[in-house]
Amino acid sequence: MKKSIKNVLVLVSICAVVSVLMAITNAITAPIIAKNESANANKALLEVMPDGKTFDKVDISMYTLPATVSEAYRAETGGYVFKLTTTGYSSGFVIMCGVNTDGTVSGAVCLASTETLGYEKTFGDLLTGKNAENIDTVDTVSGATKTTGAYRSAVKDALNAALILGGGSVDIRTEEEILADNLSSALPAAEGKFEKLFIVEELDGVDAVYKAINQTGFVCVIGEQFIGLDESGAVISEVSEETGETAEAAIAKILATETTELTLSDYEGLPSQLVSAERTATGNYIILIKGAGYGIIGGDDYHPASGEYIYIRVSLTKDGKIIDCLTVSEEETDGVGSACADESFYGQFVGKTEETYEDIDAISGATLTTDGYKKAILRAFTCVKIFEGGVEN
Amino acid sequence: MKKNGYLSVLTKGIFKENPVFILILGTCPTLATTTNVVGAFGMGIAALVVLLCSNILISLLRRVIPDAVRIPCYITIIAGFVTVVQMVVQAFFPALYEMLGVYLALIVVNCIILGRAEMFASKNTVVKSALDGIGMGLGFTLALCAMATVREVFGAASFAGIPIPFLEEYKIAFLVKAPGGMLVYGLLIALVCALTNGKGPKKKTFSCAGCPSAGYCNTGSCGGEKEEV
Repeated sequence: MKKSIKNVLVLVSICAVVSVLMAITNAITAPIIAKNESANANKALLEVMPDGKTFDKVDISMYTLPATVSEAYRAETGGYVFKLTTTGYSSGFVIMCGVNTDGTVSGAVCLASTETLGYEKTFGDLLTGKNAENIDTVDTVSGATKTTGAYRSAVKDALNAALILGGGSVDIRTEEEILADNLSSALPAAEGKFEKLFIVEELDGVDAVYKAINQTGFVCVIGEQFIGLDESGAVISEVSEETGETAEAAIAKILATETTELTLSDYEGLPSQLVSAERTATGNYIILIKGAGYGIIGGDDYHPASGEYIYIRVSLTKDGKIIDCLTVSEEETDGVGSACADESFYGQFVGKTEETYEDIDAISGATLTTDGYKKAILRAFTCVKIFEGGVEN
Repeated sequence: MKKNGYLSVLTKGIFKENPVFILILGTCPTLATTTNVVGAFGMGIAALVVLLCSNILISLLRRVIPDAVRIPCYITIIAGFVTVVQMVVQAFFPALYEMLGVYLALIVVNCIILGRAEMFASKNTVVKSALDGIGMGLGFTLALCAMATVREVFGAASFAGIPIPFLEEYKIAFLVKAPGGMLVYGLLIALVCALTNGKGPKKKTFSCAGCPSAGYCNTGSCGGEKEEV
C-alpha cells in the first residue's frame, strides 16, 4: 500500500513539474508563434501589395460589396487587398487583388483555379497599375475570353469594393438588377416579376412596356422614367400629367389590340420560311418567320450544326417599319451565335425599314447567324408587301 | 560499461555504438528527415537537446523513481522536453518546423531516447548520463547528416539547399524518395560494418533491462535471467 502511494506521488509530481515547464515555455513562445503565423498569412497579401507592411482583416458583412469579394484586408498604408472568388472557364477561380489608395491595381495574382490554358497566371500583370477608367483598355485574351474576362471583371469588382470601403458609393448592380429594381419600385404589387411585352402597335414616346406576371398592371418606360399603371391602365406612379397621359394612351392601345390570324394559303408568293402571320385591328402585322443560320447551313467538326432554324417574331406597320423584334428560339453555337437571342442584338432592328435594316452591328464571330437573321428580316418586309397587295412574288 | 572513462562514454555514441548505424535505433526519423541536410541537422540537434535534458533529469531522479512506474515517468519527462523543444523550434526556427513536420513531435517515441533513459541514465551518474546524451545525440546527428548528404547531393543535386550545378543533369531522384532512403541506409550500415570489421559492440556489454526478449534470450549479459521488476 505504502509502495503504491509512493508510485502515484512520484508520477503525479513529475507530471506537475513537466506541466509547469511546458507552461513557461508556452508563455514565452506563443506570442512569437502567433506573429510568425500571421506573417505567413500575409505573404500572399504582400505579393499583391508589396508596400502594405501589415494588414487588418475587414469585416465585409458590414458593407454591401460585389458578390465576388470573399475577404478584404486593409493595409497599413490605406490600400486594400481583396480575395475574389469568381467563375472563369470553370468555378473556383480565386484571385488576390490589391488596390492602392489612388484607386489603381497594385497587383493581382491567381491563388487557385482549374482554368485550361494558364492565362490566369500572367493576366494579372497586365491589369497592374490600371484604374477603373482604363481597365477596359486591357483586352481579354482571344481563345481564353472566359478566363481573362472573368479575371478583369473580378478586378473591377475589387476596384469598386475599395471605393465602397473607402467611404465612396458605387452602383455595383448589374444592368438587369437596376432594371428589376426600377420596375419593382414603379409597380410594387407585381412582386418583382415582369415580362417585357412584345409591342405590336406604334406607341408614341414609350420606349418599352413591361407587364406584371401576376396581372396586377403594367410599367411603361419613357426615357429614364418608369411609370406604373394598374391592370385597367390607370397611372399609379406620381408623374407629370403629360407623361401620365402618354403612358395611359400606350396601355390603352395595348389593351385594345385585337389580332386576326391570316390564312397564308390565300396569298401567293409568300416565302416558305414564314410560319404564321397576324393582322391587328390597326393594320399592323405580327410575323413569325424562321431564319437559316449556322444551325442549318453551318457546321464543322468542332461545332456541329444543330439542324434548327432561328425563330423570329417581328411586328411591322403596314408601311414596312419594324415596331418590335424578338428572337423566339435558336439553337446556334453556344457562346457565339447564341448572342442572337440577346436583346442587344435583336433590339437593333426596332424602327428599321427595308432600306435601313442592314445597318446593325453583326454578332462577332457569327457571320452565318447574322446573315441568316438579316435574310429572315428581309423576308418579313416582303411578306408585309404581299399582304398589302403591293408585290407580286 | 562499468569501467569506461568519461571520454569513452562521450565518444562511443559517435562511432562505436552509433545509435543509427550500429544499434539501429530511431530508423523512422532517419529515413524520413534525411532528404536534405538542413532538416537532418535540425532533427539531430532537436533529438540531442531532448536526449541531454531527459538523460540528466532521469539520472537525477533515478533513486526517486520507483521501478514499477519508471516507464510512464520516463515518457512523461521525454514528452515534456519534446514539447518544449517543439515550441521553441516553432517560435524561433519556423522554416525548420515546417520541414520536420510531425517527426519533431515523434521524437517522443524515438527509441534512442527512451533506450538511453532505460539502459544508461537510470543506472549512471548525472555527468556520465549527460555525456552519454551528448555522445548519442552527436552520433545520431552525424549519422543523419551523413545519410542526408548522400541523398541530397546525389538525389537532388544540392547541399543544404545550395544547388550543385554540374550534378544537375545526373541526379538520381530515386534517392530522395522513401525506397532510396532504405537503400542508402543499408549501404551506410554495410560501410560502417566494414570499417569496424564487424566488431560492433558485443551483445554481452548491453544491459538487458529494457529488452522485451530478456526472458528467453541467453546471449545477453543477463544470461536469460530477466531482472526483477
